[in-house]
Amino acid sequence: MKYFLATLLLVNSAFASDSFLKSVKKIKWKDMDVVWIEDDKFPKFTASIYFQDGALGEAVPGTTQLAFDQLTSGTSKENQRQLAEFFDFYGANLRRSVTHEYSVFSVQALTKDIKPVIGKVCEIFNDAQYPKEELSSHISRMKSQLRNLVTSHGALADRVFRKISLANTAYANPVEGNLESFDKITSESLKTRLQALNKTRKVLYLAGPSEVKNIREVIEENCHWKNEIQSVPQKLSKPSEQSAIYLVEVPNANQAQIRIGRYLTESEFEGKHDKFQFMASFLGGGFTSKLIQELRVKRGLTYSAGAYASMQRDYGRAGISTFSKNETAAETIALIREILGDVAGGKFQEKEFTHQINHEMGGYAFGFEQMNAFLGQLMLYDHQGRKYDELINYPDVISKMTRSELSSSAMEVFKWSKETIVVVGDKALEKSLSKIRPVRVIKYEDYL
Amino acid sequence: MKFLLPLIAFSLLTTSCSSLKKEKTLADSINLDVTEMKLNNGMTALIVPNSKLPIFSLYLFYKVGGKNEVPGITGASHFLEHMMFKGAKKYGKSTIDFIIEGSGGSTNAYTTADQTVYYENLPSKELETILDIEADRMENLLLDAEDFEKERSVVLEERKMRYENSPKGQLYQLLMSSLFAGTPYGRPVIGEIPDIKSVTREQMLAYFKRFYAPNNVTLVLVGDVNTRRAKDIIEEKFGNIPPSKTVEADHASLKDEDFAPKLQEDKVVHQKGESPNPIFMMAYPTYKAGHIKGYALDVLSSILGSGKSSSLINDYILIKRPIATSLYAAHQQLDKSGFFFVGGELVKGIKLEEFREGIKAKLKTYCETEITPKNVQKIKNNYLVDLYSGLDTNAGLAQFLGDRQTVMGDWRSYKKELNLYEKVTVDDVKEVCLETFAKPSVFTSVWNQNK
Repeated sequence: MKYFLATLLLVNSAFASDSFLKSVKKIKWKDMDVVWIEDDKFPKFTASIYFQDGALGEAVPGTTQLAFDQLTSGTSKENQRQLAEFFDFYGANLRRSVTHEYSVFSVQALTKDIKPVIGKVCEIFNDAQYPKEELSSHISRMKSQLRNLVTSHGALADRVFRKISLANTAYANPVEGNLESFDKITSESLKTRLQALNKTRKVLYLAGPSEVKNIREVIEENCHWKNEIQSVPQKLSKPSEQSAIYLVEVPNANQAQIRIGRYLTESEFEGKHDKFQFMASFLGGGFTSKLIQELRVKRGLTYSAGAYASMQRDYGRAGISTFSKNETAAETIALIREILGDVAGGKFQEKEFTHQINHEMGGYAFGFEQMNAFLGQLMLYDHQGRKYDELINYPDVISKMTRSELSSSAMEVFKWSKETIVVVGDKALEKSLSKIRPVRVIKYEDYL
Repeated sequence: MKFLLPLIAFSLLTTSCSSLKKEKTLADSINLDVTEMKLNNGMTALIVPNSKLPIFSLYLFYKVGGKNEVPGITGASHFLEHMMFKGAKKYGKSTIDFIIEGSGGSTNAYTTADQTVYYENLPSKELETILDIEADRMENLLLDAEDFEKERSVVLEERKMRYENSPKGQLYQLLMSSLFAGTPYGRPVIGEIPDIKSVTREQMLAYFKRFYAPNNVTLVLVGDVNTRRAKDIIEEKFGNIPPSKTVEADHASLKDEDFAPKLQEDKVVHQKGESPNPIFMMAYPTYKAGHIKGYALDVLSSILGSGKSSSLINDYILIKRPIATSLYAAHQQLDKSGFFFVGGELVKGIKLEEFREGIKAKLKTYCETEITPKNVQKIKNNYLVDLYSGLDTNAGLAQFLGDRQTVMGDWRSYKKELNLYEKVTVDDVKEVCLETFAKPSVFTSVWNQNK
């Protein structure tokens, strides 16, 4: 117990993040807002383009992601193979990330190749044709992969959980779309979507050696991006009470995937980002978190358990994710309920609370190590309308966190009657789960 | 402000890497500031200072994995990896994770067929503590009986998650057991269920004593540390731990020929599993890690299966009527053997035997059509980008050095490796292509339509 006494003294965060953040420059290139970080560790660059538009801006689910995925399927000058050859030859790594509220297109390559690579990126954004044959082939593969999702029980649980926990909101559909929506997506609808994205507000997050800034000319002359459209906040009504457990039947499973959680409205998390994330980390943010200690270490019920509270600008989600063998799935859910109740009721030890504060403060500097993760953090803050100062002040906020703030955060976010519960597993689980809540058995095929 | 201090001193490639200047090799341009120390008990430690952020990463590579196990105790290396977090003599039950995470750090470990690796990412001030912890559990692991039983359940749940409820996990295991039938590489690293259920604490302790010793480990430390002080602490904490007298003989007793696939002809193994689409892996035997032909085989795997412009993606996926929804090719090198494999998910309606015969023939034709100067250069360019990305963090560099020290016996082998990659020619790749695809192969599939 020597260790616990020692940790009662809070650690000091010696890392001066303010000087680090001073290296982040906000500049303007014509219509384009640019966030620039000089990084000369390696002769490579990262250019991430933030679009203030995501899946919420699409008429048919999956259109936005497909518009990004198929950018290299052909232009009026080059076919899919030629474009692939070009980007692969330079070792250019193209990535996209589409959320409901915003999208990001990222390019990583060697610094010396930045002009041709970014020039080609501009070309595909201006001239992507989405040829019918390539699109049809791609959609056929997407549908085939989706039908095979049952091979990954965890991914299936995540998908069904989103659709049920966000039912009747604009956020219910996964950004990748679904079997029905794929049939409605055409070359024309993708071009229309891309035109809208080209006009939407954008910010370029750029990191690399100083010569990387020389691409200003390429972007200004070739990309023709506009900042004409700004997204409008979406208001969500508060989630309703939940009365059932949804059991997603999969054949021959000897383990049950468990998802518990709900969506958060902007009014619920406004000004509470850090508190909610601290609470989620306390519950399920590492090997020493409450859930892992109770479920795995003390009882051997699972291999893994995690909790999260993630927020965009207008909506957020909070949840718990774990799994257990069929025989103990109900026991695991009951125990999670008990743990949530204990934390909300202040029934946790002082040493657990102090441990979590030390963990957050001591780990603060790691958020600055990897450039891509750091850029992503800045991007999220900008999207949420938060100032970078909040990032600097994070250790201060955490050091002042109180036990009652932790409890009230758990009470607000994880109110049991509002939590959606989804279990993916064998139908035989129905009997044991029904002791917790009435069970609705559903077919996974209805959620693809 | 410069973003990072020159952790790695680069005298940079000044021309397109599609035309690297001959006078300066890639290996010349990457120089790592590594301090190597060898303790009297045989332990190797590598230290690389990087003071940009007040953090460091510590990796310990133990040369023990699935290949060291025998029937009856399969999974022992992995089970032991779990138990290493359960406490030792000085740092008792349930304290190790709390100390690491309580200081803001993170920790985890993984077990492969060849090694078990423990790693921590921590604030700088925790250096002495974590080295003390690692030394304590290397010498005095607790293996508490109560924890041992609880962890047995956890391992069984992990096995269900990774294999029993995952057709892709089943497929990989099916490939390994088919290709390496009768050799230690054919056994599951996570262990057979009866072995996990029956292994005793005493067996585990004996296994621990055989392999957890300073002369069987490489320690790599990268980050905000003072090299001289780090050396002193390493000497102080680990210097008095006695070496194993048997581990070298243990390793020497494992002969390469006992790990080689024994394929006389093509082998086809289909397994029924819960995948509505057929998933497959097909493998050809190659060479163990460090073999000169391995570099050309790596290039070959990238030409065939990496990126949208790769051969397999173009011929099987990006076509009017796709045959597969995903395909990949890779060359896996193990300590005692190696294999080249192709795998992926096929669309419904594809007949597996026809597909198998077709892709085998196709791979042979690729040796003549796809190994072009442009394709070889493309892969070299990609290798460079991947290399930089891999070295971007303290942990990435520690992993990079530790792998080379453990597998190749010398962290400096990266220089040779870079030289060899740079010198790989079209003829080298063609040669290994023709040689590999002329060999018998193993084809495995998991599908709900399999009998």
